[in-house]
Amino acid sequence: MVVKRATAEKPATAEELVRLLHEAAESGHSVFPVGGGRAAQMGDPPSRDGIEIHTSALDRLLEHSQADMVVSVEAGITLEALQAELGKSGQFLPLDPFNSPGHTIGGLLATGWTGPLRLRYGSPRDFLIGIRVALPDGRLASAGGRVVKNVSGYDLMKLHYGALGTLGVIVAASFKVFPKALRDVTVESTFESTNEAWAAAERALTMPMAPAAVELFSNGRVIVRFLGSPDATKRMVADLGWSEADESVWTEHSKTAPPLWARIATPRHQLRLVLNELGPDQHWWASPGTGIANWAIEGNSDEVRSIRALATGTGGSLVLMAGPDEFRRDVGAWGTPPATLHLMRRLRFAFDPNQVINPGRFVV
Amino acid sequence: MGLEPEVLNELRRAVGREHVIASGNDLRIFERDASIEGAAPDAVVLPATTAEVSAVIKLAARHRIPVVMRGAGTGLSGGAVTIRGGIALQVTRMRQILEIDPVAQTALVEPGVVNQELSLAAAAHRLFYAPDPSSQKACTIGGNAAENSGGPHCLYYGVTTNHVLGMEVVLADGSVHWVSGDAPDRVGLDLCGVLVGSEGTLCAITKIKVRLLRTPPSVATLLAAFPTIETASQAVSAVIGRGIVPAALEMMDQVTVGAVEAHYQAGYPTDAGAVLLVEVDGIPESTRELMAAIRTVLAENHGYAMREAQSPSERDLLWAGRKGAIGALGRIKPNYYLHDGVVPRSRLPQILSAVGEIGVHYKLPVANVFHAGDGNLHPNILFDLRDAGVLPQVESAGEEMLRAVVELGGALSGEHGIGLEKSAFMPWVFSADDLDAMRRVKGALDGAGIMNPGKIFPDPERKAPHLAGRTGLAIEAKWW
Repeated sequence: MVVKRATAEKPATAEELVRLLHEAAESGHSVFPVGGGRAAQMGDPPSRDGIEIHTSALDRLLEHSQADMVVSVEAGITLEALQAELGKSGQFLPLDPFNSPGHTIGGLLATGWTGPLRLRYGSPRDFLIGIRVALPDGRLASAGGRVVKNVSGYDLMKLHYGALGTLGVIVAASFKVFPKALRDVTVESTFESTNEAWAAAERALTMPMAPAAVELFSNGRVIVRFLGSPDATKRMVADLGWSEADESVWTEHSKTAPPLWARIATPRHQLRLVLNELGPDQHWWASPGTGIANWAIEGNSDEVRSIRALATGTGGSLVLMAGPDEFRRDVGAWGTPPATLHLMRRLRFAFDPNQVINPGRFVV
Repeated sequence: MGLEPEVLNELRRAVGREHVIASGNDLRIFERDASIEGAAPDAVVLPATTAEVSAVIKLAARHRIPVVMRGAGTGLSGGAVTIRGGIALQVTRMRQILEIDPVAQTALVEPGVVNQELSLAAAAHRLFYAPDPSSQKACTIGGNAAENSGGPHCLYYGVTTNHVLGMEVVLADGSVHWVSGDAPDRVGLDLCGVLVGSEGTLCAITKIKVRLLRTPPSVATLLAAFPTIETASQAVSAVIGRGIVPAALEMMDQVTVGAVEAHYQAGYPTDAGAVLLVEVDGIPESTRELMAAIRTVLAENHGYAMREAQSPSERDLLWAGRKGAIGALGRIKPNYYLHDGVVPRSRLPQILSAVGEIGVHYKLPVANVFHAGDGNLHPNILFDLRDAGVLPQVESAGEEMLRAVVELGGALSGEHGIGLEKSAFMPWVFSADDLDAMRRVKGALDGAGIMNPGKIFPDPERKAPHLAGRTGLAIEAKWW
């Protein structure tokens, strides 16, 4: 089935967005929220036709309190626009997703895409402090707040993060932001074999001052980033003994976006075992400190299935990040659903009983 | 009230006769946590296994009996209080550290494990468990997970939810599930994320998998005096504004310092209007550089009498003063009551002066000891319960302080939870639609409402805020 997107709406306010969503729900239409379109192929191909609601006009920075290190934005603001604004005060959001630039904040929250800096700062799951979502019944609901520590009410930020919009369309969010490090140094080295590269990455990870990012590539290259005080970073660089690289390697790295792409996530110490099963002709890059790898698939669907089985066997997952509809339909974007799927479905039903938002796309 | 004899017999069959408490006097021991209000359970049940927890909850579901999990009873918001009676599920017999995996840097524990026991056990592997509530010598990891507890070192390391990798939980129908686990980016909705901090209203927690961190190679701890609370507050903002996030950044006011010094003789300057306790950790180069930068910023902001701990025992003494501060306040008055509202850090001077004025208005001494780096207040209202009519005054003063927090753009609680005591105030920060969204989660997982009823959500029949309508200020729920 080919799904046609009948119309595309670009609401300029959250109120307008929720009205459009409600009208669509009332008239039996489905809704596909679109941010920067950078993760458009994530998930299974949708099961129904519907209306695209773009958040591109919902792109305001609502408030940035430099002293409080808190920022509130509308969902459609791009990560780059937000970073430019925060950078004026020497602050930043520690999020560096692949397939950049052009991600919107709403899209990043809905998809849960992250990058190398996750090693040091965690994911937005850890620094998203408030959220506002539009629900198909026409309500706008907020959770959390604008303070960095808050246990008032249920943590609905966690439920919406990575839910692909299925519990409501994210219209705004607040984050705890971070000061730029006093010193930001990147070093790299390339090793003869991946075995040596894994050992080198492990050595970097166990340095007395933990690196902020460690990325390992299938060609034996390892890039390491240290953030910290001047003397401390200097000592780490000296101890490791690799050559310094320009900061721009990270911008280049963040542009990576294979046309056929899978994310492999396992318990940290088991990632290597799974990646060892990929043939020597396969291209991938890994974040050994977090247990996440990305694979530029150049094999057939059977190979994806067998690697997925291995990842699942460790308690992890293999999720398709991009690929043609046919391929995603064949392999399945998500793999075996979690054992708690029935509980997740109850939650989805409580927020979107008729599966108006992104029907067929998410695992739940 | 009380449970039917038949129900009690079923409970005894489920966990063993000696593990069910149902006599009036014995039950009174379990009627409180560390907050003000109490109500005795109809029965206290001490399960030893997940299967027993599940059996008890199945039975409770069948008879529609409330179930309230209880750890050490150190909670400060009434989370463990059986306000509607029913069964208190006391986890004392579930206190095994099941596994510490030094390679994966994780621990698997039962809910009754005491926070500090875990850190002591992890220390053998040069690892530690970061969330460190001041009650860590007594409070349990299960209670920490239910309340999403914080602690002084959460400024840098994050609160409980940032350290829980997965949990085994029992839902309101008695079904047992694992949510999340060791691998990141799990497929589906983040059930674990919403269950942590749900205050026992969505599930019973029977196992917790937590992340352990490597013990930093060096730690530097500094005590600095300030002439006033305002100058100390400005110094807090200045340190963080300089791009330095210390591991901990704690403030104590003069009242607190006086009590602490009398008790611990830790060398706290009693003439100061406020003191800051600042800690940084990492490699020696890092702690040295950061501490030097911090000292400069503090000095620029009227800091004086700065003293850096020269030995681990001196550091322990400085921290004993901070973590034992609330106990030391007993020297001033035998009872205390506190809220833990959070304000944006830049509003600390305003909120502390409002807190001071409220104390003066109610003629109640107030001692501030709190997580300044997070903007997380702990104004301890000191009183003597034997003074006639004092309790309503104390509660009103607390409520007024919390109201001031909200009016400055803050949140009702940073780490203690909403529980019983703050449920009536939820509409101050959340609209009807916001609360409705939270109720949908409750409805989806506990439709019958047996898990810790009467908590988090406002209950108009029980208690209304005294101040609603009194301040004449519109309640603006939108914080955007």
